[in-house]
Amino acid sequence: MKPLRPTLRDSFRYVAFTLNSEEPVRTRDLQAEIFDAAKSLFGDVGVSKLGIKFVMFDGTKGLVRCRYQHVSELQATLASIGKIENNRVGVTVVGTSGTIKAAIEKYLQIDEKIRRIISSYVTVPVSGKAVRMRGKEIDIIPEDKEIVDRADVRFIGITIDDNERLI
Amino acid sequence: MMPDYVDISVHAFPEGADTPKRLNLVARSLGFTAIGLTAHSPYWSQFSDSNAISGIEIVAHSVRDLRKKIAFFSDTVAVISVHGGDEQINRAACTDDRVDLLMHPERGKRGGLNQVTAKIAEKNGVALGLSFGYFWKTGQVARSRMLAFQHQNVVLCQKFGVPIVITSDAYSHFDLRAPRQLKALARLLPLEDTEATAALSSAPRNIIKRSAQKEEERA
Repeated sequence: MKPLRPTLRDSFRYVAFTLNSEEPVRTRDLQAEIFDAAKSLFGDVGVSKLGIKFVMFDGTKGLVRCRYQHVSELQATLASIGKIENNRVGVTVVGTSGTIKAAIEKYLQIDEKIRRIISSYVTVPVSGKAVRMRGKEIDIIPEDKEIVDRADVRFIGITIDDNERLI
Repeated sequence: MMPDYVDISVHAFPEGADTPKRLNLVARSLGFTAIGLTAHSPYWSQFSDSNAISGIEIVAHSVRDLRKKIAFFSDTVAVISVHGGDEQINRAACTDDRVDLLMHPERGKRGGLNQVTAKIAEKNGVALGLSFGYFWKTGQVARSRMLAFQHQNVVLCQKFGVPIVITSDAYSHFDLRAPRQLKALARLLPLEDTEATAALSSAPRNIIKRSAQKEEERA
């Protein structure tokens, strides 16, 4: 079939995002979740108008495409994602661009802070086991689960300034 | 120039799962310049971060209890917000000019605001607190219900000139969203882009200014 002429094709925008999650997320789970979230917000008709296409994801950052009039709806969709496979996540939009190349060059050249596994018992601010560290951020599995149950997460989050003995 | 975004209502440790410093770190990386720590009153403690704005979200079981708690906290913290939902509590919060923010009045059986409460709120300078945590915390039925109530409240506030403040109402850093995403969610309500920007920047700044003025008057 003859391809559509450029003037007849739709114009798209590529939305770059970063993903922060408790445990690693599989690409196909994220892809399914984005479509589910869009469908739950806008319905089948809405999703068909958005023209969403999942472009790439490397574990922490990725790209999604949509029609240029509907960037705001895609941002709302990404914001409404809170959990993937019982795993708390937060999707943050870092920028929007007209081509894949520009989106990657402008927004996805982020130096990732490597997550280190640590193991030390802490008592401040809560007694439990500090299990991992990324940059200044430290995650603790507490002995008393009341707080984490209330916030619906698995870890108590602190920074190295909260407990200087961990440095 | 980027507006000065403020998230005025987050729940830090020991109520939420993250310490004030951790929330501050994440919020700044998302594009906020400041956060306000408003613990619910049963979890209130002096434990806070000097870089964050101190606040309280008063949970009251009756109007009398609410007035007592407002009187107690009005000298102690900068931002006084009220945990809305019950219609009597919503109305009592709007009548008190010491209250800065009425959070989620839509959590009751109905929208929680009407033309009478909106007029009183405007007179007393009480702002409407919108939070979008229900988008990722509740199921579809509850979500459409809350969205409909928030829609109604926003229309009322626009008509009577009540300030609107958008907050994350976060219990952990996973509940924090970047300002541009909160604005995208606000556009699902009848809020224009400029109104949503004001609800994230100038409206919370005005609350902080107002509380500083009150403190000066007391001193």
